Amino acid sequence: MKGFLDYVDKDSILHRLNPLIKIFFSICICIAAFISDNYFFLLGLIAVDLIIGLMGKVFDRALSLLKGLVKISIFFFILQILFVRTGNVIFALPLGINITEDGVLLALKIVLRLISATMPLALLVSVTQMSDLSNVMVKSLGIPYKYAFTFTTAIRFIPVFSNEMSGIMEAQTARGVEFDTKNIFKKIGLVLPLCMPLLISSVKKINSGAIAAEVRGFNLRTRNSGYKSYRFAFRDFIGILISAALIAGSILI
Amino acid sequence: MISISDFSFKYDGAEKNVLNNINMTIEDGDFLGIIGHSGAGKSTLTYAINAIIPHYYKGDFYGAINIDGLDTVDTNLTDISKLVGSVCQDIDSQMVSAVVEDEMLYGLENFDIPKEEIEERICSALNEIGISHLRKRNINSLSGGQKQKVAIASIIALKPKILLLDEPTGELDPQSSRQVFLLLKEMSEKHGITVIVVEQKIMLLCEFAKHLAVIDHGKLIVHDKVEKVLESSEILEQSGINCPRTVTLSNALRKQGIENIPVCKTVDEAEKMVKSLIEKEDSLND
Amino acid sequence: MIEFKNVSFSYDSKAKEHTIKDVSFKIEKGEFVSVIGSNGAGKSTVSKLINGLLKPSSGDVIISGTNIKTVPASRLSKEVGFLFQNPDRQICCDTIKKELSFGLKLAGISEEETEARVMEVIRDFGFEPDTNPFLISRGERQRVALASLIALRPEIIILDEPTTGLDYNECTHIMEKVKELNSVGVTVFMVCHDMELVLDYSERILVMSDGKIICDSVPHNAFRNEAAMKSACIIPPQIIELGIRLKNGFESADTTDEMASLIAERRNS
Repeated sequence: MKGFLDYVDKDSILHRLNPLIKIFFSICICIAAFISDNYFFLLGLIAVDLIIGLMGKVFDRALSLLKGLVKISIFFFILQILFVRTGNVIFALPLGINITEDGVLLALKIVLRLISATMPLALLVSVTQMSDLSNVMVKSLGIPYKYAFTFTTAIRFIPVFSNEMSGIMEAQTARGVEFDTKNIFKKIGLVLPLCMPLLISSVKKINSGAIAAEVRGFNLRTRNSGYKSYRFAFRDFIGILISAALIAGSILI
Repeated sequence: MISISDFSFKYDGAEKNVLNNINMTIEDGDFLGIIGHSGAGKSTLTYAINAIIPHYYKGDFYGAINIDGLDTVDTNLTDISKLVGSVCQDIDSQMVSAVVEDEMLYGLENFDIPKEEIEERICSALNEIGISHLRKRNINSLSGGQKQKVAIASIIALKPKILLLDEPTGELDPQSSRQVFLLLKEMSEKHGITVIVVEQKIMLLCEFAKHLAVIDHGKLIVHDKVEKVLESSEILEQSGINCPRTVTLSNALRKQGIENIPVCKTVDEAEKMVKSLIEKEDSLND
Repeated sequence: MIEFKNVSFSYDSKAKEHTIKDVSFKIEKGEFVSVIGSNGAGKSTVSKLINGLLKPSSGDVIISGTNIKTVPASRLSKEVGFLFQNPDRQICCDTIKKELSFGLKLAGISEEETEARVMEVIRDFGFEPDTNPFLISRGERQRVALASLIALRPEIIILDEPTTGLDYNECTHIMEKVKELNSVGVTVFMVCHDMELVLDYSERILVMSDGKIICDSVPHNAFRNEAAMKSACIIPPQIIELGIRLKNGFESADTTDEMASLIAERRNS
C-alpha cells in the first residue's frame, strides 16, 4: 500500500470540488457511519465510498484501501468476539472462551463502521492536494496556520518515516535481529532496535524540517497568504445535499 | 557582499567553540566551495550566514556577520532569508509540501510576493531547472536528484541574492551530483547569484567553484582562488582533504623540476597540460 | 563462495521489467570485488540478494555452498556482514560496548566469547567503551557499525556506498580496515560510486547496466572498456581517463606516479 496517502493528479469531478465541501462530505460520511445502527446502511456507505473512488478516478486506490482495512478489521473482529460474551453462545472454545451472537454482531458493526468511516478520509487526500486542504482550513475555517501546517506535515511525513522504518528493519535484520520472523509475538519484542534509531532520526528530520520552514518565511504567514482561491460551484451544493441526505439516512434508516 | 569579521561561536551547552576567529569576505556573484573534515565547523558557518545562528540555534556569538549591509544578529531571520536561500543536507526533511507545485508556492506565499507574479516565477524557476514536467508530481515519488532539483527550484523562485547549500549531493550518484553543480554554475553565471556550497566531493568543487575556503578544526586555514589553494596540496592533505589526482599529478611534475606547470583541476586541463609539455619537448628536440 | 546462477529479481511481481535480469557470476573466497553502474542499474539489489534481504524471483544465490532461498536474512548475518550507507539505522544502544555486544548476543554467542571479541575489537579500533555512539561524529558511528559487523567474524562483507557522508580520512580508516580483513581471507563486495576508491582497493570490477552485468574484469581493463563505461554512464578515474584521451602509450597508467613517470620518460626521450 505504498503511497496510499499520496495525491493522485487526475481531472475528475471530485478533484474539481471545493476542498471545503470535500472535507465536509468526508466528515458527514464518518458521522453517518457512527450514528447508524443498520448493517445494510453501513454496507451502503462502503459502497458509497467505492463510488467516490470511481468518481475520483482512484477506484484502484479505493479497492486496495478496502482490502487493507478488511485485513486490519479481522484483528479487531477477533478482539471483539473474544471480549464480548453476552447473548447466545454460537461456538464454544476451550478455556471457557465462548463466541456469542452478541459478540459477532457487535464486532461486525464495529468493523463496518471502521471501514466506512476511514475510507473517505483516505480518499479525501487522494483527490485533494494537501496545500488546498491547509489553505481552506486557514482561510475559510479560520484555523490558525500552525495547526493546519501540523496536520499536513504529519501526513506528509508518514511515507518518510515509513521508509525510515523499512530501512531500519533492513539494517537490523542484516545484523541478526529477527524482523523477518513469522512469529508475531517475537516481532513485538523487537521494539528497541527499531525505536531508538527511529526516534533519533525522527527528531533530526523534524529539526531540519523546522529550519527549512523558518528560512522560507513560516513565521510570516497570515490568513490570507494562500495563493489559490476556491470558488463554489453548483456541484458543491449537490455535495452538501448528498452529505445531508447521508446523515438523514443514518438517523432514519 | 558577505563579510564575516572575527566570528567565533560556541553552541549552548557545548564545551568549546565550534568556530574561531573566522574572517572572510565573499564577493557578489562568487562561487565558493567550503571544504574540511567532519566536524570542522562547515555547517555551523552556513548557519551563521543564513542567520539560523543566532536566531534558531543559540549560543555564544562573537564577532559580526554582515549580509549586504544587514547584521545577522540585529536583523530578523525572515529578512535575512529573503536574501539568503538555503538548501540543506537532508533532502526529505527540507521539503514542506507533498506536491512539487506546493513546494514552489510555499516561500512565495509567505514572503508576500504579489499574486500576479507568482505563476510566472513558478514557471520560470521550473523551466530553468528543467523540471516543469514534475510540477504536479508527489515529492516522495521522485528520485534523490529530482528532489534536490525541486529544492533548488523552490529557492530560486524566491530570487535570493545568495544561494547556500550544505552538502547537497551527499546522497546523490555522480551523474545527479554533476547536474546539480551545472545548475549552480548557471545560477552563478547567468543570474549573478552568489553560490556557497559545502561539499566533500572535491572534484566537483575543483571543476565548478571559483574560490575555496578550507576549514580545519574551527579555523579558516585558507580562502583563495581554487587554483591557488590546490597548489599547496600538502595543506589540504593535512586538513584531511583528498586532492583530485590531476592536481596531484601536476604538483608531482612540478616537484620533478618541470617549470610552468599549471594546476590542473580537471582531466581537460590535464590533457592540455600534458599535450603542450610533450609538444614543447618534441619541438625542442626537432 | 558467492555464486549467482541465472538470477532474476523484480521488486514488483507484476512488473514486466525485472530489476536484475539473468545475472550470473562467481566470487571466490578472499576476493575484493566492486560493482559499479548508474543509478537504477541494480547494484544495491545484487548486494541485498547476497545477504538474503531479498530473495531471487528466479535463479539461485549460493553462499558458501548453501542455497539461501529459504534462509532468513537474520540468520545469514553471521556469515555475511552488511555495512549500510547510514550507520544511524543500526545503532540502538547507549554505549559502544553494548552496541558491539548486541549483534553477538543475537547470534547466540556465549557471554565470555562476546566479552572477549568485543574487547578485541574495541582495542583494535581504539574506541572508548563507554562512549555514547549518538554523541560522536557520523564517521565514528560508521566505524562503530563496521566494528560490530567485524565482531561477528563474517566470511563475507558487503559495503554499500561506504563514502556517503564521510570525509576523506574517515573513509580511509574504514577502507584500510576492510583491506586488512580482506588480506586475511574475508571476501569483500563493494557497491561504490567513487571510481578512485574502486580503483585503489578492488581487484575485480562488475559493471552493471540496466540489470545486467556488462563487464567483469580487473579494474585496469574494466575502466578501459569504453563501450561498458558508456553504457553504464561511468566516468573512469581521472588518470585512466587522461591516459585514454592522450593515447600514444599513456593509456597504460593507472596511478599518478605511473603517469608522471611516463610523462618524464617521454620528455627525456
